[in-house]
Amino acid sequence: MLAPMIILLTGFLVVPVLGLLRSSFLSGNHLLEGSGFSLEQYFHFFSDSYYTSVLVETFFDGLVVSLICVVIGFPTGYSLARLPPLARRWRMIIVIMPLTLSLVVVVFGWLIILGRNGLLNSLFVSLGIFASPKILLFSRPAVLIVLVQQFLPFMILSVMSVVTQIDPVLEQAAANLRANRFATFRKVIIPLAVPGILVGFNLVFVLSVSAFITPRLIGGSRVAMLGSLIYERIMAELNWPSGAAMAFVLFVSGLGFTAALNALAASRFIVRGRRHAL
Amino acid sequence: MRFDLIDHAMAVTGAIIRVLVYSILTLPAILVVMSSFTNGETMSFPPTGFSLRWYRAAFENDLFMTALWTSTYLAVLVAIIALAIGFSAAFAINRFSFRGKAFLQGLAFSPLIVPAVVLGIGLLQLFAWLDLTQTIYPLLLGHLVLAIPYVVRTILASLTLHDQQLEQAAMNLRATPLRVIRRITLPLILPGLLSAAIFAFVTSFGNVTVSAFLTYGGRVTLPVQIFAYLDTSSDPLVAAVSSLMIVVTMVVILAIERLIGTERLA
Repeated sequence: MLAPMIILLTGFLVVPVLGLLRSSFLSGNHLLEGSGFSLEQYFHFFSDSYYTSVLVETFFDGLVVSLICVVIGFPTGYSLARLPPLARRWRMIIVIMPLTLSLVVVVFGWLIILGRNGLLNSLFVSLGIFASPKILLFSRPAVLIVLVQQFLPFMILSVMSVVTQIDPVLEQAAANLRANRFATFRKVIIPLAVPGILVGFNLVFVLSVSAFITPRLIGGSRVAMLGSLIYERIMAELNWPSGAAMAFVLFVSGLGFTAALNALAASRFIVRGRRHAL
Repeated sequence: MRFDLIDHAMAVTGAIIRVLVYSILTLPAILVVMSSFTNGETMSFPPTGFSLRWYRAAFENDLFMTALWTSTYLAVLVAIIALAIGFSAAFAINRFSFRGKAFLQGLAFSPLIVPAVVLGIGLLQLFAWLDLTQTIYPLLLGHLVLAIPYVVRTILASLTLHDQQLEQAAMNLRATPLRVIRRITLPLILPGLLSAAIFAFVTSFGNVTVSAFLTYGGRVTLPVQIFAYLDTSSDPLVAAVSSLMIVVTMVVILAIERLIGTERLA
């Protein structure tokens, strides 16, 4: 009964990823011909300061997006978990819609907001804040804002699902012990919600660092992110070995980064959690 | 709870953040729909006048209509096949204990951790090597891989939540296992199954990050067509096409909400 799923995921997830790994060790800059084994692509990537700076910048962007998502997603997810079912219903639909809606449609919506004749420009010009329409697109902050909006639902949902499992009695107990909301929040809720925050953080981070549609359409040629470089390398330049190597650098360093982060958070919060419990 | 300045500040900040979050989440979709009814020639906000001309233009545009058809056809196929594969896997994971169960559960969710770029390029390379890029298989199999985690998760939740005593009662009455599945289990988890199929449908219908690499052979899905169009230009035609996608998505979400409630989506 499990065979179809195993065949599907092995044949069309594991095999393609391994095939890509193989191509990344080819030399040259063409299609899939050639044999042999070389580290040329990786060497080239890490010795070129342009690529390493894009890598660092992409990871920095991923961190910023994830952190903003934590800060604004946590209060939203927390309140969703504590709302009565009826009030929760419409809010859940709002949260889930951007997830099910195609990414390009969401990005297009942002083009209408940030475009030269868009919502913000018309608003600011008519209010007299801008003398004439400004270029709001094609900048890094614009890309980051759009990424936050796209991936925020993942954070809200994972915070919500972990907070629903925290017994409200704990919060009442803290209040009885004369803890104010901030103290309760810091010493009771946050430590217990860490697993949910981490799940959301990892998801948002991995999705942000591998984004290529948003950087391309919102950032244009001025904002380089690793995902859009890979897309161009493969689809425009048809340089497979190099694109494959870049994709692997992204994949492995993304996994390594989130693993390190999780280990750090686990050691820090689990120890602290125990101390609070004692 | 005693009154406290910090409490008050937290309540106010929380409320402001929530208003901001809900408006920022809905704004793009609302603006797309509003712009699609413009009478003007170019994209500008606020839209000028009211007309359905861009919808007419969209329905007369062969590129977009072919892409819409491809996307729908593909998404229906993905929904049916993903449901079959996902149900059998979820049933086995839920009902039997065997070695390597945790590993298989991990495998079912692994498509979530592989970046779309990596999967997209990997599939493109695999199918180029198999010489099948001219067929629908790259898109079909790629979307199936993406849909599996959602389908397995939804069906697993349904199987865990429903009352297994009914199945035991049927078996006491000497119903064969196959008959129990067909007459008891499947009808009981029907809402979960339908939701899973709908999930698979939207995963396929809306995907662009993997599909963007699998467009060889003349077959382009609607989101990829929109992406290609936006890459060079943007006029209200895209707004009309995008609004169609928003309508499909809203119908789907409301259907899932009716079937299993949105709670279980988290």
